[in-house]
Amino acid sequence: MMIDFLHEYLNLTGSRLGCGQGVCHACVLIHDREDGTSEEIRTCITGAHFFGGKTIRTVEGLARRNDKGEVVELSAVQQAFLTHYSFQCGYCTPGFVNAATVLVEKLKREPVEKDKVEETITEALNEHICRCTGYVRYFEAVKDVVLSTPGLVKGGK
Amino acid sequence: MMVRFKNTMLKLALAGLIGAALVGCGASSQGSANAEVPASAEQVARGRYLARAGDCAACHTAKDGAPFAGGYPLHTPFGTIHGTNITPDKEHGIGGWSSDDFYLAMTDGVTPDHRLYPAMPYTSYRAMKREDSDAIYAYLMAQKPVAQPNLENGLSFPFNIRAGLWFWQALFVEDKQPDVSAGSSASWQRGRYVSNVLGHCAECHTPRKFSGQMDFSRQLQGNTLDRIGAPDITPEGLAARGWTLKDLNAFFATGLAPQGSAYGEMYPVVHLSTQHLSKSDLSAMSTYLLGDKPPAPQPVRPVAADAAELQAGRQVCTAVCAGCHGGQGEGKPHVAVAMKGNSTVRLKDARNLIVATLDGIEE
Repeated sequence: MMIDFLHEYLNLTGSRLGCGQGVCHACVLIHDREDGTSEEIRTCITGAHFFGGKTIRTVEGLARRNDKGEVVELSAVQQAFLTHYSFQCGYCTPGFVNAATVLVEKLKREPVEKDKVEETITEALNEHICRCTGYVRYFEAVKDVVLSTPGLVKGGK
Repeated sequence: MMVRFKNTMLKLALAGLIGAALVGCGASSQGSANAEVPASAEQVARGRYLARAGDCAACHTAKDGAPFAGGYPLHTPFGTIHGTNITPDKEHGIGGWSSDDFYLAMTDGVTPDHRLYPAMPYTSYRAMKREDSDAIYAYLMAQKPVAQPNLENGLSFPFNIRAGLWFWQALFVEDKQPDVSAGSSASWQRGRYVSNVLGHCAECHTPRKFSGQMDFSRQLQGNTLDRIGAPDITPEGLAARGWTLKDLNAFFATGLAPQGSAYGEMYPVVHLSTQHLSKSDLSAMSTYLLGDKPPAPQPVRPVAADAAELQAGRQVCTAVCAGCHGGQGEGKPHVAVAMKGNSTVRLKDARNLIVATLDGIEE
């Protein structure tokens, strides 16, 4: 499976193996489609060969890095998760970061009405499971990013 | 085609009106409100079992709705019909009905108010025993009345004119459905009643002719429903996909068998109905469907297909199916059913496999 390839061959251990059967979504990476849209794909149930020729991002690839490969700036989603302290054990966090990133990218293309923000976030994160039940802080952090990033919400700031 | 079809239906409806005027509504039962004998606890319990066997809740309880208060939408080629309120509410439910009224609705599709669309399977319930109808009536009358108005049906003209139903009922309500298997044992006899009458299997699994009536010359040979079709469940059809008596029993009792799980429209059937039935009734159903001498289950045979196409399919399957369904399609216990020997994969028509792949299966 792709997660084994990421862990064992690329030493990219940020994607987490949770349930191993496609339910918890801790293992998702981001697939950048050719048309400029992005989607989550579960790496615990998808073979590595499926990604041949495709452009992907794992959680390690979201922050801005310098020439030496050092992280110099977190992505807006990552920073918001830190600000809101949106994790307890942190195991499911990479999956939530990727889900929120895909959501923000989607809202850049298709902004939503302000009164639809909450249900849009719920729908986008709904498949992700957090066994510490830290959903509220994840939710608040993502809502913060969505409301404070220009262009994601129609009729709001 | 559709225009011609509608014209034909209009004529049928008109003929129904004239016919009704000539014959004078022979099947009416109004005025037969007997003083009802109070139901015993035993009769109510029996009614509860029979209501489950008849799967009343599937259509008469809406998602998250009050039990038997109606509102479940049933999509048909003629438009959307909603399950009605069958709680004992006097205004919106069936609280004003006698057990005679109820029996007539169950078996003739005629209520004190109007004729019923055949979305209500009186075409199957027709052969229901009077004592069973009375027990279901007793059970329903023991439920909490819910004052929930019935929803308008979204039927297009001329199907929204109920008078045309007289003609439909006179033509298409038959007393007995043909048997697809041979048998004479007590279990087979009971299975005929549980499958054809209570379980109304044919309503989904028998193809329909152009006026919506079941095509009894092709009894249980499979039917295209909404997105997912109901497969062929004749003895030959079942055996061709590897079904045995034991596996059918397991399927009805748990929704799971080596041949796969209950999904689509069959899921609520298992969830609300068959899992609650007695072992002997389930065994009777399986015996009736396969016959007293079930045909031998067919082994999986290799398919003849282009080698390059097979190789491409194998690669996709390994990449996106094998993670849950196993490298050889053997499945994973408590995670995903086997694809090897799977009943849906073995169907001649790939429709259900494709739809399940595209839409996923509701959990």
